[in-house]
Amino acid sequence: MLHAKIVDVKDEKIEISKAEEFVSSSKFGASIFFTGTVRETNENKKVTGITYDSHDDLVIKSFKEIYEEVEKKLHIKDKAVFIEHVKGYVGLGEISIIIAVACPHRSEAYDLSRYIIEEIKKRSPIWKKEHYKNKDSQWLKGNPVQTS
Amino acid sequence: MKIRLELFGASRDLSDKNFLEFNVNEKISIKDLRNKIINHINDNFRGNENFKKIIQASAFCSEDNNIVSDNYKITKDQKIGIIPPIGGG
Repeated sequence: MLHAKIVDVKDEKIEISKAEEFVSSSKFGASIFFTGTVRETNENKKVTGITYDSHDDLVIKSFKEIYEEVEKKLHIKDKAVFIEHVKGYVGLGEISIIIAVACPHRSEAYDLSRYIIEEIKKRSPIWKKEHYKNKDSQWLKGNPVQTS
Repeated sequence: MKIRLELFGASRDLSDKNFLEFNVNEKISIKDLRNKIINHINDNFRGNENFKKIIQASAFCSEDNNIVSDNYKITKDQKIGIIPPIGGG
């Protein structure tokens, strides 16, 4: 069971309560809620916020691929996965991503949550433009996408 | 033939719009398109080396949302997405 979405902050808010509702089930004994938030410093610069950009279709495609490969790679069959990532400007301390997972047992839930965030970092076309206290801003470098 | 290059991430700095357009007479490969973008940077941004590095490190995405290689041929009017190095989360 997967929920995958890009949340455009112009139109709506990213909310942990939606993730709780989605993964809640008596089938599962373990839930992990991961949130990524905008932190106040990066490379010794005072950050005031981040603008997130995304190729929405490719991002959702990557979320689905990551979800689907979990059964084979991590041998986790029963699971609920909720992934939302924001698009647009996010201020200091605000949430940029929510990954909520629920599994029958805790070890699977920890493994699954970690796997999803690491794969998103490597594979999902999302970009960050940091804004600084001195009014400068810059796109962060990132990692090239592999082509076959 | 018209290629609409949709801009994302750092490549957005190449235009005030969300895209660049290239008119070409015959089918071209992604490798050729990459060179056209470099030429655009030479002509419009005084050969800005940072922009060129971004283009060299970028992947490209076809209209049907597949990452395509440098050998991929564009044979008709098409939207192509440029995918600069990524780093969300």
